[in-house]
Amino acid sequence: MNVDKIREDFSVLNKGIRYFDSACMSLRPKQVVNKITEYYNEYPACAGRSTHKLGNMVSDEVNSSRRLIKNFIGAKKDSEIIFTKNATEGINLLANSFNGEKVLLTDREHNSNLVPWQKFKQGILRSNEDYSFNLEKFSEGVRNYELVSFVATSNLDGYTLPIKEIVKIAHENNVKVHLDGAQHVPHNEINVKKLDLDYLSFSGHKMLGPSGTGVFYAKEELLKNMKQFIIGGETVINSTYNDFVMEKLPHKFEGGLQNYAGIIGLGAAVKYLSKIGMSDIHDHEIKLRNAVDVSGLKLIGNNSGSIANFNVPGVNYHEVATILDTSDNIMIRSGRHCVHSWYNAQNIEGSARASFYLYNTLDEVQVLNEALNKLKKLM
Amino acid sequence: MICLLSLIVFGILAIFSASYRPLAKEAFDCVFRRMTLRKCQSGLDVKVKSKIVGRLIGKSTKLAKGVHKYFEVISWFFVILFFVSLFFSGQALYNVIVYDNCNGISEGDEVPGYCIITGEGGGDVVDEEIVSCEDPQCADGICEECGTECECGDCSDP
Repeated sequence: MNVDKIREDFSVLNKGIRYFDSACMSLRPKQVVNKITEYYNEYPACAGRSTHKLGNMVSDEVNSSRRLIKNFIGAKKDSEIIFTKNATEGINLLANSFNGEKVLLTDREHNSNLVPWQKFKQGILRSNEDYSFNLEKFSEGVRNYELVSFVATSNLDGYTLPIKEIVKIAHENNVKVHLDGAQHVPHNEINVKKLDLDYLSFSGHKMLGPSGTGVFYAKEELLKNMKQFIIGGETVINSTYNDFVMEKLPHKFEGGLQNYAGIIGLGAAVKYLSKIGMSDIHDHEIKLRNAVDVSGLKLIGNNSGSIANFNVPGVNYHEVATILDTSDNIMIRSGRHCVHSWYNAQNIEGSARASFYLYNTLDEVQVLNEALNKLKKLM
Repeated sequence: MICLLSLIVFGILAIFSASYRPLAKEAFDCVFRRMTLRKCQSGLDVKVKSKIVGRLIGKSTKLAKGVHKYFEVISWFFVILFFVSLFFSGQALYNVIVYDNCNGISEGDEVPGYCIITGEGGGDVVDEEIVSCEDPQCADGICEECGTECECGDCSDP
């Protein structure tokens, strides 16, 4: 993996910035930006409706994106890929269509995988003391639920759940599994077919794709039985004043005119990531995270994967982020990272989070370390 | 306390530029909360503090450390300085309205100090203006004493 060559594709990196906020929003390579521009310049029309040349071009490109994404996550059929505007919409789709009452969550869910389930009878599975997943407790209690909806890789600390074991145990107990893959899919190889995963939601903007794009995956037989969520144009074949005939998959869940430029751009992003290889990207991120000098920092959570979450003793987390930005152009996130429930439970006010991706370098991490050492001296 | 200064600065800037209005609003919210003995929630104080410390930390860690540690004290100092300055400005304005100069009643031959509001008074600056522009002996370019052509100031010092 040639990081210098990769960096040439991200024009914003020429501005002398050190971008460590990819867990919030990744940067986009020129290949993605060009593909979006291509849509607006070459075929800015509707897909699936109009039979003219431009319409057909858009349909082809959208279908191609769907296929690329299907292959990227190892799904069985194109129709199992539903385009959404982000992971949150995907989770809301499931929460509004799910015919069940009891849902099990972990104790570190992003608000997007917590709030939509609060209308259900909800169970929270506490982590072990070292913030790892409590597989034993899960095995004991999972039978009491109809669905488990877990964050596959936490945006809090980068911890990845033992997905394979979770799916196996849940299925042994006739419980369906949904994964919030917003942080997992951009950084790890995933194969939903091999995992026998029931549902998966993820966002495009965290994996080099355009903002306003996301994907909801479900096994075809499950999708067929799911109620529609957003309905209207595109989701029906026919209608009378009083009734309508539902569209087939995947369109029955894709209400209204879609974000074609975004979908096509997301296809380009997936192509880009596939070409580099998710395994190499993951290894690179681990190297970067391990290079962070954590001495004197108060670490938050498990600190694994591509995320370093910490507090500098005596310095407010928002101050840490602003000082790093002002002094060294280092961009990190501060706050509660949309995992308010976990911070409240732990009685921690907030923290600073550096998250890495394929375009970051060890030299950049070195600059971060030097800046953090200066910050430590403030106390 | 920095929020109070921010409110005044951003409040004035907000009159002329819409981009400062959210900051002014944030500062107002912060001041209001502090006045009602609550914690400032907007984080404006943290933003201002860390922006300043961020600029200093690259130049002098010691200075940055000092500012970081005593930021509240420094903020209070500037707030007090602001109110002291506001008091004297108000006093000067009152003097201008009542006595036509910033410094109040002049005793005897005492020359009043320079007044920034009226632009009058003080030493050299005032003299220069009188000589160059209001020389009573050089009318329309002709010296009243000798009748020759002159420029301002020529006739005052023959």
